[in-house]
Amino acid sequence: MDIIASLTVVISLFAVLASLGVLLTRDNFYAALYMSITMVFVAAIYAILDIQPAVVLITLIFIGAVGIVTIALAATYRAVPTRKINLAWALPLIIVFGLVCYVYMNTTGGKIEVIGSNNLIAVPYEYFFVLLLLFSVIILMMLSAIKFVRGSRL
Amino acid sequence: MLIVFVSSLAILFIAYLTAISSKDLIRLLISLELMFASLFLFITPLFLMMPTTAFAVLILAVFTSSCELLVLITAIILTDRKRKSIDIECASVGGEAK
Repeated sequence: MDIIASLTVVISLFAVLASLGVLLTRDNFYAALYMSITMVFVAAIYAILDIQPAVVLITLIFIGAVGIVTIALAATYRAVPTRKINLAWALPLIIVFGLVCYVYMNTTGGKIEVIGSNNLIAVPYEYFFVLLLLFSVIILMMLSAIKFVRGSRL
Repeated sequence: MLIVFVSSLAILFIAYLTAISSKDLIRLLISLELMFASLFLFITPLFLMMPTTAFAVLILAVFTSSCELLVLITAIILTDRKRKSIDIECASVGGEAK
């Protein structure tokens, strides 16, 4: 397994774990934060696959605008409701998920090959550092939101 | 690419479970955004096959998500003003009666 495949696996797992945080946390504010972190991981997968226009679009609009507005909304209407998850819903979800994975693994064959990769905008690899700075700024914004909410609660 | 598909489906099912178990409208909004994140992950292989089409789909999805956010924020604020609550029980549709 090469480095790109390994990174894709690791970041995909992190994305699933972050989305599990949305389900398990009871506070809407932290649920919004976990949602934004999931989006960051999704954008990171695009970055690993070198699909830079999609990275910029997802990062600027989906994380930068939609995610931050959702965090602000969740912080505004912050409440800790008593939420009960009926675990009976998990069983059909697991069954369907297993069926889909089984069918996919048994019906698909061959490799996905890159066709017309020149259509993508060629971006120099130094762009990685720009992306790193962009993600750092987003994480800093989330951290300052946490600090703001905790400070207002004290 | 299998791991990307599996992760996307896992995130989608988690989003469904979050939507089903949500008690207020904010959590419902968050679960919808999570569904869009799953969609973005799902179309990743399309970028490797048909990049132009995939980018068009991505732009459409991003703008749909943004519009959905605007509409839902407005709906949440109006619901809060009218019902003084954002509980999911406040949102009854289709003649639903308790």
